[in-house]
Amino acid sequence: MKRKIELYGRLRDAGFGAAVSVDVPQNATARQALSVLKSAFGEKASLLQGCALATGEEVLAAGDTLPSGRLALLPPVCGG
Amino acid sequence: MSFVTAARLDPAALCRAVSSPKHGALASFVGTVRSVHAGRRVKAVSYDCFVPLAEKELARIKAAAEKRWPARVAVAHRTGRLKVGEASVAIAAGSGHRAEAFEACRFVIEEIKRRVPVWKKEHYLKGDGRWLAGCALHRRRP
Repeated sequence: MKRKIELYGRLRDAGFGAAVSVDVPQNATARQALSVLKSAFGEKASLLQGCALATGEEVLAAGDTLPSGRLALLPPVCGG
Repeated sequence: MSFVTAARLDPAALCRAVSSPKHGALASFVGTVRSVHAGRRVKAVSYDCFVPLAEKELARIKAAAEKRWPARVAVAHRTGRLKVGEASVAIAAGSGHRAEAFEACRFVIEEIKRRVPVWKKEHYLKGDGRWLAGCALHRRRP
């Protein structure tokens, strides 16, 4: 199934815009989705190092099933 | 209440929000855009943010600080492109005594740097720019 993944920080400059749409298996885990994203990023896959998937509520662990709703791919953070 | 804003921060308003006649201490921290970083002359910094999660994490950090210390805490984080000298983050803590006010402020800024989904891109005088490195996020559940 198609899922839209929002991109933030350094990922915004990867050439995909503010989001990517990827095909993930039904009930896919965050780990599986990250693997699909690595393929989608191709030669820019190194940008995904240290990235995590998150909802508007929480960061997902690798084994978490992707919930419905907003999904974002978040690079290491540096607020403040 | 919103913790993330594209509007100019008002640290004095945060101080007023946490002050009380019962308090003998009011500490604040304001993070600002610096003009030089790692030897490069900076003209501005862009702050990107995943707002819904940032709002949740800032609320959690405020609650954790108020649980750990007998203090009232307020915090706000800016988004968008900021010039040198503009405030990017503001924190205020009011408490009975100075130790807990200082400690609560320190706690909040360190937690922001570790877990709030915000990213900085520095814009240099020479015209180029760079996203800064940061801390990888991990799931946090009780």
